[in-house]
Parts: sequence; structure tokens; C-alpha cells
Amino acid sequence: MARTRSSVVRELGEAEAIRRAQQGDAEAFERIYRLHNRRVYALCLRMVGNTAEAEDLTQEAFLQLFRKIATFRGESAFSTWLHRLAVNVVLMRLRKKSLVETSLDEAAEPDEESGGPRKDIGGPDLRLSGSVDRVNLERAVEQLPPGYRSVFVLHDVQGYEHNEIAVIMNCSIGNSKSQLHKARMRLRELLHEFERDRAREERQAAKGGSGSGH
Amino acid sequence: MSPTQCVQFEKMLEEQPDGPLSAVASAHIESCDDCRTLWSEIEAIRTAGTEWGGEEVEPPEYLWASLRQRLESEGLIRERNAQRGWLAAWFGVAPGWALAGAWVSLVLIAAMLAGYRINQPNRAAVLPVRLSMAAAQPKLVGADLGKTLDGDLKRVFDSLPEGNPVLASSLRENLGIVDNLIAVCEQSVREQPDDPVARDYLYGAYEQKAVLLATATDRSALEGQ
Repeated sequence: MARTRSSVVRELGEAEAIRRAQQGDAEAFERIYRLHNRRVYALCLRMVGNTAEAEDLTQEAFLQLFRKIATFRGESAFSTWLHRLAVNVVLMRLRKKSLVETSLDEAAEPDEESGGPRKDIGGPDLRLSGSVDRVNLERAVEQLPPGYRSVFVLHDVQGYEHNEIAVIMNCSIGNSKSQLHKARMRLRELLHEFERDRAREERQAAKGGSGSGH
Repeated sequence: MSPTQCVQFEKMLEEQPDGPLSAVASAHIESCDDCRTLWSEIEAIRTAGTEWGGEEVEPPEYLWASLRQRLESEGLIRERNAQRGWLAAWFGVAPGWALAGAWVSLVLIAAMLAGYRINQPNRAAVLPVRLSMAAAQPKLVGADLGKTLDGDLKRVFDSLPEGNPVLASSLRENLGIVDNLIAVCEQSVREQPDDPVARDYLYGAYEQKAVLLATATDRSALEGQ
């Protein structure tokens, strides 16, 4: 029984696929794509928060990968190489879009008056209650500055270690940790803001409801 | 609670964002509501992020098709079949029974031809000579040759004596097989016009058709006698 094309694609190991892709083999390209597309797409989607743009970025990342695959010599892990490339593609796009780039040190500065961390953003009644609403989290991540967003998505969402992030983003491990902390702090602020907005809307709705009853 | 301790607590979070908390930090959040809340909310965000990451995100299938199109347009990928050559491609895509049928038919044709050549060698050799001449003229494109052969075949079919449907059916069946082979060869030449091997195979396929035509011509003559 002849093996089908799809079974050939499925059975191809990554190392062999890379070797064959370097020779322009179409099945090998597809195998590499199938092995990594979910992670790259998820990364793009979570970093830009837009499916159409995530698709475009995923395609661009793989296109760049396949353009350069002949130069891959195996000194680093292939997945690290690919994801560093994908992150760079995303960051380049974010920069081109001229998003408001908050300085990485701008957020979560210590409170000037007390010298301590800002903790009273939402007030006691609006504190996060041990769980975070997913929709709100995604909204908040979308609003993070690109640098914070990248580190948060890579570490807390995609599960990369700080040493991997340091390689991917060409920064120190300490810088990765610091940015992650600042990203979380900024997310916390944003989530409190969302909670305040929601509470305000509920109050207004309640006022409108009680007003209409008279 | 001393602001200094709170600053130190946050500094510790920045340096060790993945925990675990040191004994000093743990003692601090026991006695500081603000820092305890900060810690629990950071943990909640981290947990939510991890749960989010656990969800698989499948890109749409058309993404690969689109990517592949771009890779092909840039000449980055080549079809594996094309790399192995047109013959391998033909064998790769043709169903086994079709190949077996084609080979059996060609063997039968060759056997028939051998038998007729023994009887009338001069007549059977006419068409291959025409093919050899065509192959020697690079400007004679395959399509011209194919039309010429089609015209010759039509005349052969027209000249077949009525009342021999078995012969006509057999010829048509074999003709279909050879025509399929020619179609594949022509496509190979279109894709690789400078490949001499592809051109050789194309002319070989035409030759098979010419052999079929010669066989039919001879058979027609015999039936008419």
C-alpha cells in the first residue's frame, strides 16, 4: 500500500524535515509548518490580539523562516530560532504601526509620595478576587506596551523560561524578569480600571432602572 | 507597615518574579495587607496567563495554502515529484491497476508488432522513420507531431473494415493509454522545456503512438485482403 502524501508529511521527523527543507522539499516545508504553526499562530494572536493580523504575521514568520532555513546550522534549537524570528516579526509590525510605546520604565514606578508600590488603584472593593476574567485579561494584554506584552505572553502564556526569552529578545535574563514584573503590574492596573468601569456602568444602569420605575 | 519593607518586597518580586517567596517576604505579607493583596493579584494574573496558554490555537487551513503559494512564487520550494523526474511523478500518481494495464497493453502491442513485422517489415517501419525525422528537427513542436499522428490514426480507423468492432475497440483502448502517457510527457516538457530527458520521453511516447498506428495500419491491410 503506497503511503499517502499526508502520511509522509506526518511521519517526517523535525531534523530530517529541516534537512530536506534546506533542499527545497515541499513536503518538508509543510511538515515544519505543521509542527510549529499552532505555537507561532498563538504567539502572534496573543501579541497582537487580532486574528487577521495574526494570520498575516504567522505567514510572514514562516516565510522568513523558509527564506533563511538554508543558513540554519543547528547551533541553537530550531524552535528557539523560529520563535525568536516570529517575535521579531511581531515586534517589527508593532513598531511600524506606531503604537504608543510606553517606556519600559514608565509603568509601575514607585509611588512618589509614599515611596512604596502603588496598591490602591481600585480601592478595597475592586481588588481582584483570586481569579481573572479571561476576556479582561486579553483586553489588558492588548493594551500593554509591546515590550511588556512580549515578555508576558512569552513567559506567562507561552511558557518560555527567562533564559529562552533573553535569547529570543536579545536581552539579559535580569531584564526579562524585570519586564515581566512590570508587565504584571501594568496588567493589574488595567484590570482594576476595567473593574472600576464595570462597577460604574452597573451603578449607572441601576440608577437608570430605579429612575424608570417612578 | 514600613514603606521601606514594601519597596523591598516589590523589588524582590521584580528580581524573582516566579517565586517562591523568601522567608522575609512571606513574613512581610503576613503583616501587610497591601502587599498581600498585591501578591495574590499577581498570582491570579500569572495563573490566568498559564491557563490561557494551555488553549491550543489552530490557524485556519487556508494559511498553509497561502503560504505555500508565496513559497512557490519565490521559488523556495519545489515539488518532490518534480525533483524525482517526470517518470517518477507519473508512476507516483498513476493507480497501480492503470500502470499494470498500460504495461500489459504495450507488451501486447510490441508482440503484435513483432508478429506483423515478420510478415511485412517495410510497412511497419514507415511511421517510426517519420518520428525519427521529427525528433531530429527541434523546431517541430510536440503539438504538431501529435496532430500529424492524430490525423494518421483517424485515417487508419476510417480504413478499418466494418464488422471488426473488437479490433477497433482494442485499438481505441490502447490509444487512450498511450495518449495519457503523451499528456504526462507533454506536461513534463512544458514544465522543463530545456530538459533533454523529458523531450526524449515525449518522443518515446509519440513513438509508442506511432507503433500503435503502424500496427493498426498493418492489421487494417490484412483485414482488407
